[in-house]
Formats: sequence, structure tokens, C-alpha cells
Amino acid sequence: MTGGRKQAAYLTVPHQSIEAPVIVDEVSALNVNQLGLQIDDKMILQDVSFKLPTRGVTSVIGPSGAGKSSLLRCLNGLLTTWSGEIVVGECDVRRWRGGWDQLRRHIGLIAQKPAVFRTTIRGNVTFGIQGWRRRRRAGELVENSLRQAALWDEVKDRLDAPAATLSIGQQQRLCIARAVAIKPRILLLDEPTASLDPRSKQLIEQSMKNLAQETSLLCVTHDLEQAQRLEGHTIFMCDGRVIERGKSSQLFIDPQCIETREFLRWSVCDCD
Amino acid sequence: MSCGALIHRDRISKSVVLLLALPALILPAAALGYILWQAAPVLNWHFIFSSEEGVGFGVTEGVFAQLIGSLLLALMACAIATPFAVASALYYRLFATTRQQQLLSAMFNMLQGIPPVVFGLCGLIVLVNLFEWGVSLASGALVMAVVVLPLLMLNTLAALERIPQEYTEAGMALGLASGAIIWRLWMPRSWVNVLTGLLLAMARALSETAPIMFTATVFSGVVWPDSIFSPVTTLQTHIFYLAQEANDPQVINIAWGSAAVLILLVAIFGLLARLLQKWGRH
Amino acid sequence: MILRWWLASSALLSSMTIVLVIGFLLHSSWPLLQQQGIAFIAETEWYPFEALYGMLPALLGTLWSVALALLIAIPCGVAAAILCAEILPPGLRGAVRFGMELMAGIPSVVYGLLGMWLLIPLLESQLDLLTGRTLLAAGLLLALMILPTIMVLSEDALRGVRRSQREAALSLGLGWDVSLWRVLLPQAWPGIRVAILLAMGRAMGETVAVMLVVGSIDRIPQPFYNLLQPAQTLTSRIGREMAEVSVGSLHWAALLFCGLMLAMVAISISLLAHRRVVTA
Repeated sequence: MTGGRKQAAYLTVPHQSIEAPVIVDEVSALNVNQLGLQIDDKMILQDVSFKLPTRGVTSVIGPSGAGKSSLLRCLNGLLTTWSGEIVVGECDVRRWRGGWDQLRRHIGLIAQKPAVFRTTIRGNVTFGIQGWRRRRRAGELVENSLRQAALWDEVKDRLDAPAATLSIGQQQRLCIARAVAIKPRILLLDEPTASLDPRSKQLIEQSMKNLAQETSLLCVTHDLEQAQRLEGHTIFMCDGRVIERGKSSQLFIDPQCIETREFLRWSVCDCD
Repeated sequence: MSCGALIHRDRISKSVVLLLALPALILPAAALGYILWQAAPVLNWHFIFSSEEGVGFGVTEGVFAQLIGSLLLALMACAIATPFAVASALYYRLFATTRQQQLLSAMFNMLQGIPPVVFGLCGLIVLVNLFEWGVSLASGALVMAVVVLPLLMLNTLAALERIPQEYTEAGMALGLASGAIIWRLWMPRSWVNVLTGLLLAMARALSETAPIMFTATVFSGVVWPDSIFSPVTTLQTHIFYLAQEANDPQVINIAWGSAAVLILLVAIFGLLARLLQKWGRH
Repeated sequence: MILRWWLASSALLSSMTIVLVIGFLLHSSWPLLQQQGIAFIAETEWYPFEALYGMLPALLGTLWSVALALLIAIPCGVAAAILCAEILPPGLRGAVRFGMELMAGIPSVVYGLLGMWLLIPLLESQLDLLTGRTLLAAGLLLALMILPTIMVLSEDALRGVRRSQREAALSLGLGWDVSLWRVLLPQAWPGIRVAILLAMGRAMGETVAVMLVVGSIDRIPQPFYNLLQPAQTLTSRIGREMAEVSVGSLHWAALLFCGLMLAMVAISISLLAHRRVVTA
């Protein structure tokens, strides 16, 4: 366990839990190899490699400017000038038929600021579904998605109200429901609970844990405690590189790299 | 400097500004007032909506034919220009690289600055003579379309650029294709602004005379166009023609009346645009 | 993707319009340049019947009328903008602004009518002239036409200056006029400059109103600053002789050359205004 190593005061000690053995799939959902990104002479990402399992949460932590958000945008195709290899399932994204539009239906993205569309709550959830006939008959899907996003109870009697009437925390959960409604294999989340109230944070973390049972989540977060609460794996990035990755339970207690240790202790990174 | 002197100086400078500003405020209003006053005796239902032949060659008692002619030209011009303007703005926002954006922007800004009479001249030579369309609705509408094209495009572009980037990216993240993004995301949000731009373009097309003077209009007699290849008569050229016939007192009133009708027409479109904008902002 | 190609071709065609227009103007005025070289620009005689195509009278006319219009309209327009943005209470401000925007939409042919039947007799009687069709009339009329444009755009520029700037100036104890001169106007200057450039473009390109009041006599005013004589501008010349030219003649090429000059100056003005906006 902890041995004789000192821990920073703010780190909570995770309690031991007996887990049932989990069957791990052999094929990972996402396989990133030596991803690099350069914008205007600055290397935003360098030599980033990792794998995402088919299920579970993977948190990405690191200081500001470490390239975490850019990483997500590369995976989603919003940034296209990266070098390296990204493999979804078994197919390289560069050879994906149908282009990025098709690919994005398998990789959802939740941005930091919720951007709800100017339509009803129901309209938002069904927005990504192709074909207006299918959108009209999607009642059950709407309910399931909203339940998965931990929003159903609060909006079940006003599905046809404009989405703009929701609070920010509710809007963010609506965005999660919207992304989940098209059943992506991978869900990317860019600091989903930053600047939300504690209750919304808790609800979103709850919904993420639910989603993690069927989907692979990659969640960028500044909140180290959140990364610990989410369990699963953690990737620590600094200055555009992956410094360390591993199971969350191990990384937070016994980090291997000195940069990780420094970061966890002081929440700053002195990597060069 | 004591407090009193400071206030005194303020007052002087404010008075100077007021003095300089007075001509700017009074003269245009006085001009408008003069026009309406001169036109008052002539303006009635009969004047606007009939088109009998009047005294003198080419002078009509009523201006209905001219009214319809002006409207037809403006409508056709906007109908021709809108698809190109909207397509250019969409391309700019959706697919253009930075370099292409700069180029497009420069081209349209340059087009906007060129005096309409130059377009009229080119239209006269190319459309009326070279293509042998003759002096016609078609020639005039095409020339006018070129005049309002940059206005429409830049307006549509401004409307599209008011949509925040995160909104669009949220749609892209859901896997929406470009067509769906335009139709389901952008259009519901920006159609009000685009329509406002269209109304303003109509107002502009109604007030231009030089481009259509020799490409679309004739100065004699009442003309109802049989097809798009026949000439029309418009309020603008009607006024222009009347302005040079100041001898006949009858003509004077008709001219002012036509001017008032034209101003009213342009003002209606301008007001509609404003109202639409206000309504869209609620 | 079909959508992409359709949008791209539409955009291409639209932006090619200006290239086509300029190309056509160049191509058509080439015979004139070929025959007479570039010297005719400075010639003073315009007698198409004797193949004399001097541009100088029209150029001078355009220059004078635009200069006069700007001289009158800039101070008055900017002052009105200051009045509206800084001095007037909000209710009155809205009304004045609305009125100005209404004025800006008045068609130019109506101004021409005003010029012919109101301004010219006025000038004739007040200044005791033989004819009121003068450069002065053209300049005054143009000033009236561009006033609303300058006022509205300058007011936008002034309103765009942040509140914090005004308050900072006032809290330094600067008087209203000093804060206006040294803080507000310099800050709003980029916008005001654009307004002036746009107004200049409009004044230069105005055809119908000028055609009716300038006299259309191709002659250099004697002395050259005499605004009280009939003269000619580029636009007026094009407007008057457009219908009379036979296609293919040198006269035709000369008119097109006038158009080319107008277009070139207009493009430069517009590029200037546009670029300043980008860098400001």
C-alpha cells in the first residue's frame, strides 16, 4: 500500500474494496500511437501513445497547457493536422469510409461549456439521430439517455420545454444525454464538471460511472479527487507528452515517475 | 483652473459642437419635409394605383406602372443575387481556408465599392448589345443583381458569424454532416438576420437609378412588360425624366409625387428590416 | 461532396464578377490607349467629334465636387455624431438616429430633383449667377447625400469606445472637451476613418444627382478653383453620353476608360477602408 512514503495532505486514501473479477476484452476501443500535433511552431502534443479499454473510465490529468484538450479534439476530428496513428476498434481513422462525419457517431464529445441547441429538451436529445421519422418515434431512447445522464427525474414532465430554461448543470447533463443517444463506443469529456455546483458534479460523476459499464470514457479533468473517485485508469500528461499511465488506484498512491509525484504533491509540474 | 471656468469651457465646446451639428440635423429633415409638402397635393390613391396617360409625351397621370416596374426589377435582382450571395457566405464559413477567406472578403469588398454606373455601362455593352438582350427587364435585373450581390453576401456572412463556434462544434461532434449543420443548426438561428439583409438589399435596389437607366427602361409611354426581355418603366427613371421637363407646372407636381412614392417604398422596406431585426432579438 | 462543389463554384463565380468587369473595362479602353498613349489624361479638350478625349476637365470636376462635399460633410457629420453619442439624452438620441437612417435611404434621383428645382434657383438668386448648374451645386448636393452616412457610422464608432475610457478621462479631472479631443476621438478614429472613406466612395460614384446639377460642360473652370461655373465630372459624363456612343468607336473606348478610372479609385478606397478595419 502506501509504505513509508509521505502523502500530500489533500490526497484522500481510497478505501480498499473487494471487486469481482472483470473480464477484459482483448481489443481496445481506441489505440493511439505516437500522436503529434504542431500549431505555429509549437509542439502541442508529442509522441502520445495509449490504449483505451472497451469499458471504463480513463482520466487525463495534468497541468494547464499540457495539451489535454487538444488531445480530445484530435481524437474527435475537430483538429485534423495531427501526425501519428489513431485506431478506433480495428480501423485506422484515416481509412475510415465516410470520413469524420461518420466516425464522430462512434466518438462522442462533451465540451466544457454546455452548448445546447435552441430547441426543446426532447429535441436536443434526439438531435443526433438520423432521419426525422426516427427522431419522432424515439420516446424510449429519450428516456434511456436521460436516465443515463442522471437527468430524467428532473425533466420527465417537461420534455417539450425549451432547453435554455435548464440550469447550467442540467444543460451539461443534457449534453451528455444527447451524446449518449446515438450510442457511441467512446465518449470524450473535456472537463465536464468544471465550474459546476457540487450537486451537479456528483450527478455527472454518477452518470459517468453508469456509462462506464458499457462505454469507454476518456475524461480530462483538473480535479484530482474526481479522477480518483472515477476509478478506472489515469493518464498523466505534461507539456504535450504522456508521462505516466496506469490504474488510478495505483497511480495516485504510488506514482512511478518523479514528475507525477511532484504534480500530485503540489499540483504543479516542472517537466522539461 | 477653477471649477467655474471648467464648466464654462465645457459649455462653449458643447455649443460649438451643436452649432456644427445643426446643418447635419436640420438640412436632411428640411429636404424631406419640402418633398412631402410639395407632393401632398398630388398624393392620393388614384395617383399611386392608376396609370393613365397624362399630358405630354411620356408623362403619366398615375405611377402604378412605374411602381410595378421598380418592384419587379428589384425583386428579380434580389432573386438572382441571393443564391450566389448565400452560397458564397456558406462556403466562406464552412470550407474556405484562411487564404481563401481573405481573398473572398477582398473581392466582395472591392465589388461593393465600384460605382453602380460602371456596372450599368458594362451591362449596356455586354447584355444589351453583345448578347442582344436589348433594353429589357432581364438586362436591368442582372446589372442590379451585381450591384446588390456584395451587400447580400457580406450581410449573410455577418449573420453566420454571429453563431458561436461551440454551437457548431457541438453539432459536428454529434456527427452531423455539413448539409445538416447548415439546415438544422444555422438556418433556424440566422434566417431572421439573412432576411433582414435581403430587405435592405431590396431597399438599395429600389433606390439605384444609374445601372438601369439605359439597360432596362424606356422614357416614353406606359410600358407593361410582356416578357423579361421587354423594357419596363420605373419610378427612378420616371423622376429623372420629369426633372428635365420643368416647364410644365403639371409635371412639377407629378414629379414630387413620384419622388414621395419612391421614398415611401424604400422606407417601407427599411422599416420592415428594422422591425424584423427587433422581433428576432426578443 | 456535392454540397462542397456547389458552394465552391458559386463562390468562385461571384468573386469572378469583379475580375470580369475590370477585365472588360481594360480590354475595351485599350484601343484608346493604343492610339493616343497615356497623355490624353492630361488633355483639356473633350470633343469626341474631333477625336479629342481629354480627361482633365472631368477629373478636376470630380475632385472638386468630392472635396467640397467632404469639406462640408465631415465636420457637420462628425459633430452630429458627437452630439448624438455624447450630449443628447437617450430618447432624443434614438429619434435622431432613426431619422438619420431614414435619410440615408433616400434615393439619389430624388436628391437630383431637389438639386434641380430647389438648389439651383436658390444659387442663381442668392449668388447672382447666370446659371446655377455649377460645381458648387454638385458639391453641396453631394454633401447633403453623404451626411447621414458619415453621421451614422461615426456615431457607431463613438459608441464603440468603452465606458471605462470615458470614466478614466473624467476622473483625471479633464474637461469634457479635452476628454473628447484626446481620448474619445482618437479611440473612435479608425471607425470614423472608415466612415469617411465610404462616404468618399459614394460621393465619387454618384451619378444621377450630379448629372442633373453640374452643367455637363467639358471645360476647366477659369480660374481652376472657380466653383461657380458649370463643369463636368466623370460620372456625369458617363451618364450623359452612355446612350449616344456607338459600340466599337474610340468615343466608346474613352467612356469605358472613364469607367475604368472610377473603378480603380473606388477599389483603392475600398481596399484602404477594408484593410484598416482588419488591422485596427
